[in-house]
Amino acid sequence: MSIDKKKIRNFCIVAHIDHGKSTLADRLMEKTGQVSERDMEEQLLDSMDLEKERGITIKLTPVRMFYKAKDGEEYVFNLIDTPGHVDFTYEVSRSLKACEGAILIVDATQGVQAQTLANAYLAIDNDLEIMPVINKMDLPSAMPDEVADEIEEILGIEAHDAPRISAKSGLNVEEVLEQVVHKIPAPQGDDNAPLKALIFDSYYDNFKGVICFVRIMDGTVKVGDRIKTFMSNKQFDVTEVGVFSPNLTPKESLTAGEVGYIAASIKSIEDTAVGDTITNATNPAPAPLDGYKKALPMVFSGVFPLDGSKFDDLKDALLKLKLNDAALSIEPDNSAALGFGFRCGFLGLLHMDVIQERIEREFDLDIITTAPSVSYKVYKTDGTELTVENPSRLPPVTEIDYMEEPMIKASIFTPPDYIGPIMELCQFKRGEYKDMVYLDSRRVELKYILPLNEIIYDFFDSLKSRTKGYASFDYEPCGYQKSDLVKLDMLLNGDVCDALSIIVHKDKAYERGRKIAEKLKDAIPRQMFEIPIQAAVGGKVIARETVKAFRKDVLAKCYGGDVTRKKKLLEKQKEGKKKMRSIGTVEIPSEAFISILKTDNED
Amino acid sequence: MSGIYVHVPFCKSKCTYCDFASYPEKLAKAESYFACLYREIKGRGMQLKDKVFDTVYIGGGTPSIVDADLIVGTLRQIRNCFNLTKNAEITIEINPGTITEEKVKKYKSVGINRFSIGLQTGFNDQLERLNRIHTAKDFLLCTNLLKGENYSADVLIGLHDQTAEQVQKTLQLAIAGGVSHVSVYALTPEVGTPIYSDYLNGLLPSDDETAELYETAKNYLKENGFEMYEVSNFAKKGYESKHNMNYWERGEYIGVGVSASSFIDGRRFTNSYSVEEYMNAIILNKFPEISSEKIEGEDAEFEFIMLALRTKKGMSVTKFNALFGEDFAKKYAKALQKEAKYIDFDGETLKIKEEYMYVQNSIITEFMN
Repeated sequence: MSIDKKKIRNFCIVAHIDHGKSTLADRLMEKTGQVSERDMEEQLLDSMDLEKERGITIKLTPVRMFYKAKDGEEYVFNLIDTPGHVDFTYEVSRSLKACEGAILIVDATQGVQAQTLANAYLAIDNDLEIMPVINKMDLPSAMPDEVADEIEEILGIEAHDAPRISAKSGLNVEEVLEQVVHKIPAPQGDDNAPLKALIFDSYYDNFKGVICFVRIMDGTVKVGDRIKTFMSNKQFDVTEVGVFSPNLTPKESLTAGEVGYIAASIKSIEDTAVGDTITNATNPAPAPLDGYKKALPMVFSGVFPLDGSKFDDLKDALLKLKLNDAALSIEPDNSAALGFGFRCGFLGLLHMDVIQERIEREFDLDIITTAPSVSYKVYKTDGTELTVENPSRLPPVTEIDYMEEPMIKASIFTPPDYIGPIMELCQFKRGEYKDMVYLDSRRVELKYILPLNEIIYDFFDSLKSRTKGYASFDYEPCGYQKSDLVKLDMLLNGDVCDALSIIVHKDKAYERGRKIAEKLKDAIPRQMFEIPIQAAVGGKVIARETVKAFRKDVLAKCYGGDVTRKKKLLEKQKEGKKKMRSIGTVEIPSEAFISILKTDNED
Repeated sequence: MSGIYVHVPFCKSKCTYCDFASYPEKLAKAESYFACLYREIKGRGMQLKDKVFDTVYIGGGTPSIVDADLIVGTLRQIRNCFNLTKNAEITIEINPGTITEEKVKKYKSVGINRFSIGLQTGFNDQLERLNRIHTAKDFLLCTNLLKGENYSADVLIGLHDQTAEQVQKTLQLAIAGGVSHVSVYALTPEVGTPIYSDYLNGLLPSDDETAELYETAKNYLKENGFEMYEVSNFAKKGYESKHNMNYWERGEYIGVGVSASSFIDGRRFTNSYSVEEYMNAIILNKFPEISSEKIEGEDAEFEFIMLALRTKKGMSVTKFNALFGEDFAKKYAKALQKEAKYIDFDGETLKIKEEYMYVQNSIITEFMN
């Protein structure tokens, strides 16, 4: 028996980071009795440890709730969570596609921010009904009237009847539920048409295979149906369908308008790409839903085990992570300096950080990651074209005709006070100014075209420090541009360390080389001999630092009473050594590889 | 070789760098402390009646601060309870600010034949800053009292604003005073000592500067006939400290008194650091051990290597192989190869080259598994 579509509301919550998305989601679940207050773990939707720690959502988790409205009717709410970070824009857009409406949370103290706008536009682009909610009314600095004005002014969305709530205290959360019923449209769709189910997320389960999170657009799916996916064009037999409560709860069937999951003994997550459409294999829909895009990695970095013998463990860890993360790309790599490892592709820097941390935390592996790189297009003099993601794979200069680098379109939101410093920063980062819009007297949007290669290098940190954290930032890729790029090599004790090579703009080579050399000088502990650190472009040394040999590394005293204690001191020193990697004769701590990125600002 | 160490946990006032078990405020308890000490000596003597000891070292604290009769009693008790060889080296640490002719006489009467004087520096302003209780002149008065005896001076490097010239002058003073032995220690700022905050505030010389001072000291001592026989110890030929050499050869020793450590039959154990706890245990006829550890296998091997490599004569491979039933050259081939540049190894003796003595930690740790 299918549910009356008029009683279904599919919606998501969009917000700028920290504006209270997860807290509101928890509160909605609690108010609808989905979870009792007592059982509720803080912020239920964000289940991964890492997500909790960083207050961000990476994997999507839909929840089904029942709400008895004031009109006496019971409604089914499907809340689809969305990842809250720019790296995952495409995933966000797919989960929006599964909804009819979006709750837009705006912080009553901060107003509209970069991701508020980016996410709201994304929702508008996906034809969603936007329902603004003003949150954090419990804070003394809340300015709900100003914020409502701002929402209307900037986004053109009626906001004066927006519920003014405190997700934290529970204030006015009932009103949110009631408005969902009235403001967000019920889903459309024909139960009897050929099946069209949008995959908006999936994960790998050891027992059931891939669990696809779907929104049924048309038709019906039930256990035993033979289904196929459009992109991979593979067929499977449905073993289970169901809904999220929030745990997987099997049902007989899912019909148009519903949000749920399909399991069909699917072995690989790559067969169920986010954005793909599932249809019935025997009665297929003529065409998939539109809007499918393959998630493309934007940032690449080498990942190597600190202990070379742990290569297989690292491989297993990456493959396991990849089971649940189609956006992660993995390729075997080897480095003269670091031995065997992998070149991994990530959606962005956050994605990269998250994966690296999960490897270390969930798989207990010490890894060395090399400086992130982007994907360059190399046009060779012999007329061939090459994509290079790994600086050490760049052909010799003599074979290169010219190179292109990926660009992004950046929107930076800032109070007007910081326009100067931001423009300076963007200028320094080789940005091309596009536009500046005063959203209101308190907020300006700056638009720039910037090379991605500059963004992955300390841009966020610089932006934050220059604007005391007030500016927010969002970007999307916008093609390639010809650029004067060179490979910057670092030499340790006279030998090139390939794992430290980076590709930089010619004009930045000296500056970066000097800074990296300085960073390495600080990161590499003094050893028995002097270690020259050189930065070189095309064999020409452009910067040099020296790690002096240490002169005192001794236990001044060691007598009978001291032996145990002194032995412990040496053990500690030995432990420190084990955290280092020998590159030729030089021992380098693993942090050195990443420390070269964390340059302080140019000022 | 085997040694006996006696700890005297009293002094007049704490030096700013001191993190030893020494309690100036408890000096009044000295008599009852020594009563306990005698009992401990008796107990240990009974336990170790089959062993022969060649050296005694009375350290502290400031052993010379207590009534000399207590020291006399201690040695009598030791002779009564232990098999002490006839020509045993018997050392006492003395502070120039606490010594008298009377005391020296009593020490000598009971067979003490070596004196270790805490000079630290020949500059009164520096002595004051370290909260030492004596002056440079006191040192000379002290050496006068010891005329004809065998004595050593402790000297510190890495003091506030210390120059190479000052180190040299300090050593000059020690040599003028007639020492046969000098220990040159780099000041090690320990957490919890007053000087640690000076260290944190950058008021002490850097490691490089201290290394420079060490070079100065080493060269000056060499010019004056003192050879380095251990990282921090220099002696005229034949005047090396036997008691300390025993530590570096990983010989056995029994320690009595507060905080004293022992190493007997492969077991290392340590007494309580608290005077009260120590005395209470003794009164109850218990040994005041607070930790005890049997050291075996690679731990023991590493200790042997680590201690031996502190000395100029280095480590005897024959002795190593006999002690541990291993083939040293084979087992440590990797480390030997890696550190080849910094060591001398001829198959029988392993030594750290003299110029790398002061950076030996990273060499030694290569022999740790």
